[in-house]
Amino acid sequence: MQSDSKEWVLDAETEYRFELDPGASLAIKLVHGQAEVFGAELAEGKTYLFGSECKAAIFTWQGCTLEVTGHASTEYVSDETPMAAYANLHIAFEQMRVRALRVVHGSPASDDDSDANAEPPRVLVLGPDNSGKTTICKILTNYAVRAGQNWSPMLVNVDPSEGGWAVPGAISAAPVQSPLPTASPANPLGSAATSAPTALSSNALVPLSYWYGHPEIKRNPLLLDRLIRNLGENVRDRFDGDPEAHTSGLIVDTPSSFASGPTSGASTDSRHSLIKACVDAFKINVILVVGHEKLNVEMQRLYGSRLTVLKIPKSGGVVELDLPYRERVHNYQLHTYMYGQKIDPPPGISSAILGGEAVTDLILSPSSSIISFNDLTLYRIGAESMAPSSALPIGAARTVSEMQPVLVDPASSGSGLLNAVLALIAPFNPDEAERYDEEILDLNVIGFLVITNIDIPNRKMTILSPNQGSFAGKTAVVGSFEWQE
Amino acid sequence: MSLYPQTHAFGQPTYPAPTYPQPGPPAYPYQQTPAPPPPVYYVDPNTFRRDYAARLAQLTINSRPIIQTLSMVAQEYSRWADIVVQCLEAHIRRVPPYMKLPSFYLLDAISKNVYDPYARHFAPFVVPLFLETYQQVDQTTRSKMEEMLLTWRTGAPTGKELFGFITQIAIERGVWGGDPGVADISKAQVLSELEFTLSQKERAVQANAWDHESRKHVEVLQQLRSLVEAGVSQDELRQILAQLRSLSQSTAPPAPAPAPAPPTYPQPSSSSYSYPSQPSYPARPSFVPPVVHHSQPQSYQYQSTDQPKSEPVDLSSLLSTSSSPAASTSTSTAPSNIAGLFSALLKAGIVSATGTPVGAGDTAKAEDNTPQPTSQGREASRAYRKAILGQKIKLTNADITRKRPSIVHFMYERLSVQCKQCGIRFSDDALGKKDMESHLDMHFRQNRKANQNIGRGHSRSWFVGLEDWVHDSSTDYKGKGRADGSRPLNAKASAAAEAANREAELRAQFVVVPQGDEAKTISCPICKETLKSEFLEDDEEWVWKNAVKKDDRIFHATCHSEALTSVQSLAVRLRNEATGRSRSGTPEASSSRASPPKEAAALRTSISPTSESKRAGLKRKVDDYSSSDVTAKNDNDGTPPMKKLALAA
Repeated sequence: MQSDSKEWVLDAETEYRFELDPGASLAIKLVHGQAEVFGAELAEGKTYLFGSECKAAIFTWQGCTLEVTGHASTEYVSDETPMAAYANLHIAFEQMRVRALRVVHGSPASDDDSDANAEPPRVLVLGPDNSGKTTICKILTNYAVRAGQNWSPMLVNVDPSEGGWAVPGAISAAPVQSPLPTASPANPLGSAATSAPTALSSNALVPLSYWYGHPEIKRNPLLLDRLIRNLGENVRDRFDGDPEAHTSGLIVDTPSSFASGPTSGASTDSRHSLIKACVDAFKINVILVVGHEKLNVEMQRLYGSRLTVLKIPKSGGVVELDLPYRERVHNYQLHTYMYGQKIDPPPGISSAILGGEAVTDLILSPSSSIISFNDLTLYRIGAESMAPSSALPIGAARTVSEMQPVLVDPASSGSGLLNAVLALIAPFNPDEAERYDEEILDLNVIGFLVITNIDIPNRKMTILSPNQGSFAGKTAVVGSFEWQE
Repeated sequence: MSLYPQTHAFGQPTYPAPTYPQPGPPAYPYQQTPAPPPPVYYVDPNTFRRDYAARLAQLTINSRPIIQTLSMVAQEYSRWADIVVQCLEAHIRRVPPYMKLPSFYLLDAISKNVYDPYARHFAPFVVPLFLETYQQVDQTTRSKMEEMLLTWRTGAPTGKELFGFITQIAIERGVWGGDPGVADISKAQVLSELEFTLSQKERAVQANAWDHESRKHVEVLQQLRSLVEAGVSQDELRQILAQLRSLSQSTAPPAPAPAPAPPTYPQPSSSSYSYPSQPSYPARPSFVPPVVHHSQPQSYQYQSTDQPKSEPVDLSSLLSTSSSPAASTSTSTAPSNIAGLFSALLKAGIVSATGTPVGAGDTAKAEDNTPQPTSQGREASRAYRKAILGQKIKLTNADITRKRPSIVHFMYERLSVQCKQCGIRFSDDALGKKDMESHLDMHFRQNRKANQNIGRGHSRSWFVGLEDWVHDSSTDYKGKGRADGSRPLNAKASAAAEAANREAELRAQFVVVPQGDEAKTISCPICKETLKSEFLEDDEEWVWKNAVKKDDRIFHATCHSEALTSVQSLAVRLRNEATGRSRSGTPEASSSRASPPKEAAALRTSISPTSESKRAGLKRKVDDYSSSDVTAKNDNDGTPPMKKLALAA
């Protein structure tokens, strides 16, 4: 085609790894053989686009030939991958799923596994920074949906810095029915539903989302704990209503701060309590610890008696991600939430698919509208900046507790609302008698808004919203995220 | 063509008897058979060689017409068999790997259909040719070649090996390694033989969708396949193989007997050799040994292969219910086979299931084959369960890090059909095909919707409310998901699923276009829209899709059913509306407006039985699922209201 494209011939069980610079994009075509990107199989002859500083790997079990067009800042082939271990994990989880399904169906137990329990896999993935937790979750999920058994595992993301299908600052859960594509870090786990028709249902996921509002968990661990429990409760409700769906199990991706951090003191307690919140909320029965010996030992000690704790190898391909990169990814994610995904193909590529979809179908048009201050009720959870409770004088109580919803007035000059990301939350209980003080903490998110302009003299603000839907009279919660186009 | 003789024709002793083909075909006997394929009549071998080579060069895809033409030419010019053989060999060696398979199909077709003298001409070099090709091609092609190889075992008109015993053994050894029947038997070999048997059975099912027995056999074979894939010991492999082989050998000889000794060329319409016209998804080259021509021996063979796998109780019940003579012959003629294979299979099952080869026989027998009729999906998932549980992996650090390549089987080989759009895979059985079809439908709908939406712009949707999220059973986000009705859905979802099912079933109905009417367009009397005609690859017929024929008129099945329902419940209201409607101002419009109910009313008596039976069929389907599914019981109880809903829809 043109000089820019290169052919890579991969042997069986090797992977082609690449990293992209900002603004660069890469087009990869599977010329021959079989290949998968984080567990999602590529179709032969189709051109797949990657962009937004995507760092990914194309793995092949049986060997393949790839045609790569575009410029990657780093690209190489590695034959050392932990994929065999991940595949074994998948097989083991499949065993749990089929056993669970058999029990749901009421089929008699065959003697081959009568001793084994019939619980579906409910997996918590823990690991330090840059250990590939999300990737493992993705691979395991993709393998499950690819098994051809109509599994739809529940994928849960409790890492607020990642955002999952929503925007950073949220934690969410969504059942996955088709392989999750990889194209950019903006939507690492597939994307939430849009009005556009999509070929892959993983590009139209329906997540249940709660708004935490901050990238770091130490900012308000109590709130995160509560949200995790809310999420878990609703996931359980859903499973109760559909036992067969439950057999597909669930996979929980966690923030790295669950795994690492200062070794002593209050923060250790808080991360242990968050791990415990996850274990309780999602009835975890398998904990995977990625490449962290010590955490593995800790988990063995704490949970080894009642659930399976496994240490699994970390991929050598994971890239050290710095803070500026993570911030850029947050921007990509918010941009993608509002405007959809647009990656310009490298020169010479005319038709390509992006995350399994035609490129044009992923471009979205948000709507910008000017509303009165009174049209939207804004809250912040806890005080804007809080010292940890341990820093307070002994015996002193907070004036504003961490969990208290505080009304925010856009008219006050120091509100810090310009460019703030808001989470539009579900309406309060229509029954007045059922309401309670902190109800706002237990309401799920229905969408995200950004305040793009504030006009204090006229008491008006400009709101960017993902669609034309009305949000007048609703309630939104402010976090610490800001976004500017 | 003309260049060659003009420059070299005269005085070239190396090219014997060159003549011009142009002077017009000499009045040879061929002329009275103006068969379309060979338009040129050859008088000298060189011209023939050139022309045949040129025609061969066109064989770049798996095209049935080309293969047939070439095969026919080969038959007619069997006196120049050596030339055909040389050309073909050279061709196969020359073309790139992806083009080799069609050429092999040609070799196969010629050898089987014309047999003499071609088979003995091919025999000397077919071993290295086959094996070299086998090395070069990809996995899919390999399995197709294996499939073909298996047909060669009984490919000769006598039911013997097509190219002779020695040749056959040599190729098989080259492909599967070891010495079949004597030393090591590779899993691959057993698998491909199983695969072969299975594909024959699947074809039987496709040919006759109501052939429940075959369907069951397919399931059992699939189960067996997953067992073998999961890994059984050398001994069991040998046993299974020996049984399969002795069966096919014992059944093969009677098969060709009724065949006329001089091999005839199959008519283009004959389905014995179906070279798919396109190598895409459904294109499974159906290589059927001559046995297939005779349905009786065929079913006989399978009965004896398969019945043992269903448990004894089942066997007797099958026998008692089955009115087909084939079933009874099978048991009477091959009881030893049944017993032998049964034990072999049982062993295989137990071994792969438990890892304890002894003592577990009784329990396994009791539960592996539940006597009640189970749905295909259930059967498939059971087979999958067996295969997965056969994997000896425990959730321990040691086990996880220990390398096991079986994932390739589960992720790729077991699911051999792949969507070319998005790479999602499906299994190659009937169920997988159904899934694949609905998956492709989804792509189609999505593309259509995308085209309709151009320029309109999309936007991110709000997330759903908590109640909806918790209670929506995720079945129908994109119209995708399990429509098998086996899940306990809430009432609304199940009603919707029921309606969708009904609609799908209606749409799947078709009427075969009568000969000669292919170009005619007809429209549905109800909606006045043109019926779409479509070519069914499987049946090789033009059909009108979504159509029913009533009283010699063709209706859209959906329109017809709609009219029927409305007439049953709302006839009066409809008629009132039709006459009372002011906007139907013109008389013509009002008459057309009023026609559907009238038409439907007139049709009612003649139609209701069929629609009744259809509904009964639906009901039966629901019953089938639920009888094996405790959890679906509730749904079944709810049938009457559901039905009402569907009717009202």
